[in-house]
Amino acid sequence: MRLASSAITIAVLVLGFAAIAQQVGPGSDQPPSSAPNPPPSTPPSANQPQVDESALRYFASQGDTRRVNAEIARLRALYPNWTPPSDLSQLSSGPAVAVDPIIERLWNLYKEDRIAEVRAAIAERQSTDPNWKPPEELVTALDTVEARRRLTNASDSSQWRTVLTVATENPNLLTCVNVDVLWRVAEAFAKTDQTSRSRDVYTYLLTNCGNPGERLATLQKALTILPENQVADLLQFERKTGETPDNFDSIREELARRRVERASNDDKTTATAEDLAVVERMIRNTNEPGPVLVLAWYNYHHGNPARGLELFKTALDRNGGNKAAEGYAMSLRALERIAEAEAFAYDWRDKAPENMKVYLDVATALLTQDPPPRLETRVVSRIVPVVSSQRFPDGAQALGWYSYNTSQFQTAREWFRLALEWRPEDEPSAYGLALSTQRLNDRAGFNAVVAQWRDRSERIADLADGATPARPGQPRAQVVQPAQTVPQAPMRSVPVQAEAPRVVVERSAVEVEPTMRVATAATGSTSGRRNCIMTRSADGMAPDAALTLGWCLMDANRPMEAVNAFDQAIRRGSSRIREEAAYGKSLAYLRKNLTSEAAVAAAQAPQTSQRRVELSASILGQRALAAYRDGRYVETILALSERARIVPEQNDLMLIRGWSYYKLGRYKDAERIFRAVQRTGFSEEASVGLNAVLEASIPNRQ
Amino acid sequence: MRIFAKRGLLLPCLLAGLLSIASSMSSAQNLSVQPLNVAGTLSSGEWEAYRSKFIEDNGRVVDNANGNISHSEGQGYGLLLALAANDRASFEKIWNFVFTELLIRDDGLIAWKWDPGAKPRVSDRNNATDGDILIAYALAKAGTAWNEPRYTTAAQKLAASIGKHTFGRNGGIVFLLPGAEGFNAGDRPDGPVINISYWVFEAFPVLAGLAPQYEWNRVWKEGVTLLQQATSGRVRLPADWLSIQSRMQTKPADGFPPEFGYNSLRIPLYLLRAGMTDLEWLRALKLRWSAENEGVAVVNVVTGNVRERLTDQGYAILSAALACALDGTPVPDTLKTFDPQLYYPSTLYLMTKSWLGEKHPQCV
Repeated sequence: MRLASSAITIAVLVLGFAAIAQQVGPGSDQPPSSAPNPPPSTPPSANQPQVDESALRYFASQGDTRRVNAEIARLRALYPNWTPPSDLSQLSSGPAVAVDPIIERLWNLYKEDRIAEVRAAIAERQSTDPNWKPPEELVTALDTVEARRRLTNASDSSQWRTVLTVATENPNLLTCVNVDVLWRVAEAFAKTDQTSRSRDVYTYLLTNCGNPGERLATLQKALTILPENQVADLLQFERKTGETPDNFDSIREELARRRVERASNDDKTTATAEDLAVVERMIRNTNEPGPVLVLAWYNYHHGNPARGLELFKTALDRNGGNKAAEGYAMSLRALERIAEAEAFAYDWRDKAPENMKVYLDVATALLTQDPPPRLETRVVSRIVPVVSSQRFPDGAQALGWYSYNTSQFQTAREWFRLALEWRPEDEPSAYGLALSTQRLNDRAGFNAVVAQWRDRSERIADLADGATPARPGQPRAQVVQPAQTVPQAPMRSVPVQAEAPRVVVERSAVEVEPTMRVATAATGSTSGRRNCIMTRSADGMAPDAALTLGWCLMDANRPMEAVNAFDQAIRRGSSRIREEAAYGKSLAYLRKNLTSEAAVAAAQAPQTSQRRVELSASILGQRALAAYRDGRYVETILALSERARIVPEQNDLMLIRGWSYYKLGRYKDAERIFRAVQRTGFSEEASVGLNAVLEASIPNRQ
Repeated sequence: MRIFAKRGLLLPCLLAGLLSIASSMSSAQNLSVQPLNVAGTLSSGEWEAYRSKFIEDNGRVVDNANGNISHSEGQGYGLLLALAANDRASFEKIWNFVFTELLIRDDGLIAWKWDPGAKPRVSDRNNATDGDILIAYALAKAGTAWNEPRYTTAAQKLAASIGKHTFGRNGGIVFLLPGAEGFNAGDRPDGPVINISYWVFEAFPVLAGLAPQYEWNRVWKEGVTLLQQATSGRVRLPADWLSIQSRMQTKPADGFPPEFGYNSLRIPLYLLRAGMTDLEWLRALKLRWSAENEGVAVVNVVTGNVRERLTDQGYAILSAALACALDGTPVPDTLKTFDPQLYYPSTLYLMTKSWLGEKHPQCV
């Protein structure tokens, strides 16, 4: 019932517009108020009261020159483009008619906007003289003013249907004299889900109404209501010629700014050079921080944190506040100026929740840098109370690793416990706790962690089984650390993808390291490590010395030089040494992410079956990651499947598999994988994936 | 009766309660609303004193005890009193204010609160059903009295909106919601919540004539039943705001003081104006309100304690009107001169005087 009647309302209203548009007709270039005036005897028709001249005509007919002039002045003030009708003098020259004095009083009250009193005087007069009728023009004028008031009040109170009803019942309101009414009607259409009707109103206005200020304001209103492409369509009505040409440049700029703003939060959307130039110009032409921030975020999210940093600095100088500070800290972090980022973010941490989040992330990143940094006590001791008061589990875990790496095992144990208290499912913290308790010979503590976690965490189970005992001076923590993906501000899924390769490289190192160390110990001299830093070239070395040098360089994390050393060992060495060296060379390439080189190297000498499996698994893992990085998801899954045939798939690679399915739109498979990961304790990353799947597959379920 | 047969073990008091409901229902069936003329029942001197104090040139009726706000109730009383004083000009102004400032809701009801210091000045766009009824009733009466179709048409539209949006249903009963939103079952835990003083009984037959598709007759009778139920306790006074979740056992609504307060003071006035003088409760109230007892007061309906005695002549005349209607006692001379100070008691004073003037001129 309601729907039907409102549909009728709209139909009527649109017809009204059409009628009005026709009335104004081809002379639409002129301001409507200078349209030909109706003959004096005709009461203003519903379609023509552009400027209400009824009072003026009345005074003219009375020959009241003083009032005529006063009214002309008043109307001129209201409507600058208006010109008085030329036929006024004819009116006053007519035969003098005896005039009812109340009429003049009514018009005067009307002019002073005392509408209720006009109505009251009419009612009073009619109560003594039932046959008396007020002038038709006055009644129309009163109806119009009342309708405008009701429409305005209804609009101020968001009573949109009333707005549309009043407009429909009073089509004479819908003219260029009442631009504000037209704007409100357009808004009412939008608020009742009829934006195409809103666009019709704006189009009507821009086609017919002449005041350049109002025309520009119309587009500004449209910007708050219409989709941007529709606003852009309205720009075609810009009048470039005539006495008062339009200048809609500010609207174009705003549209460009919005496009850049949208792209600024989405690294997959690029803004055009023209749009970027517009924003650059806005930055130069104002002292506002707004456009600076837009461009700053754009640069930050499009691989240019250095430019982002500059712009955030400018925004800060322009009182850009919390958002500018947030971006500044994030840019510093992206530029790996983490210590500066921490110091800066610290000062802003209490300004807004976002600033606190950035601070916690940056502080966590600072603590978990690889290699572990030596931090000033001052810095650590200001991080501690913030992490505590915010109960931030990642921060607690990071403080745990930091303490562990600086041999403060008791402190480490406490931080890992706190992290677990704040996030009971945090496997890395449980692992840290296991290591710390082990180092402290805290058997009860160690057993408690193991009892709770051995079914959920393979590495904790391994610790308990003594498979990989942690060694003094070689804290596993350093190796594991990068697995703690530090959440980055805008998108939770980014870290998983971006960090995963690193995780895998280091994990594969974990897998092979014990063997490697045994090999080093068996073949190398203990002085090798000290000396290799100074050695320039392996050329001419004895094979076993070259092999030792290779491992030493690997230890020093100089894999490309290690490759040279291993090459020397392969060229000259015995089969045992060749095997060892080929293995080392493969590892070196793997560390540099050179997967195919690693595969070639592995083939240079026969390997033991155990090593063959290790190397193949690592190579296939790397290959999968490289494919994933390049967006070749089918190949990613093929490589992972091949790898899964020889070794069990670890969680981080399962995540990669899940994301590949996701990218291929195979949401069911992705969901299955993420659920599997979730069950093994990597709940957070898996949840990110599950959420993404859920979000992506919602439209299909509806 | 089937219910009684099923449960043989009803507590005697509950049984008594049910019986009293049954009897009050029958008395509601026997009552009827007597029409009033309204027009021409108020002296121009008293009206002029009221008009010049509370009504602005734009037709706004100002509640000077409430931050000079205006509300639909005040506009409704203003219209009725202007009609009573035969002041067409003022009626037109007050209506003009209602029409342009308050009659803006999408559902055709009237926004209840207008605050000159707020932006937008309609500071609460909810309706208050008593205001809607008073305005519709005044428009209907004026349309007839002055033969003005604009008023009748407006009354008709408003009456239809009232019937459509403010008649609540609970089981088999139909009652008046104090507002279109926020009071019904489901809107609040103790809903439905009602306010008996929103039943302007005299208006119901008139509005029924304008919007006969709605059940006005059942609604006003339900008002009487609920009043009798709410006054059946020890203190015998209804709370202003009542939860009728259990119709057999109305109770003060949550979040409101359990008081017979400024709202409910109007109930006897509305009953008298509607000619419903047969209700036994009015006798009990007259006794309580008499000068020898506590007089007109705000009373806690649970404890019976008086919170505030109300001595303004606008409240005192309510008691005098009861005495006049029930015993023919003349209104004391001290109440005969109108000295308007505050909007609300002054309004009650004129509403009472207008009715006395029409029905009991001998008392004044």
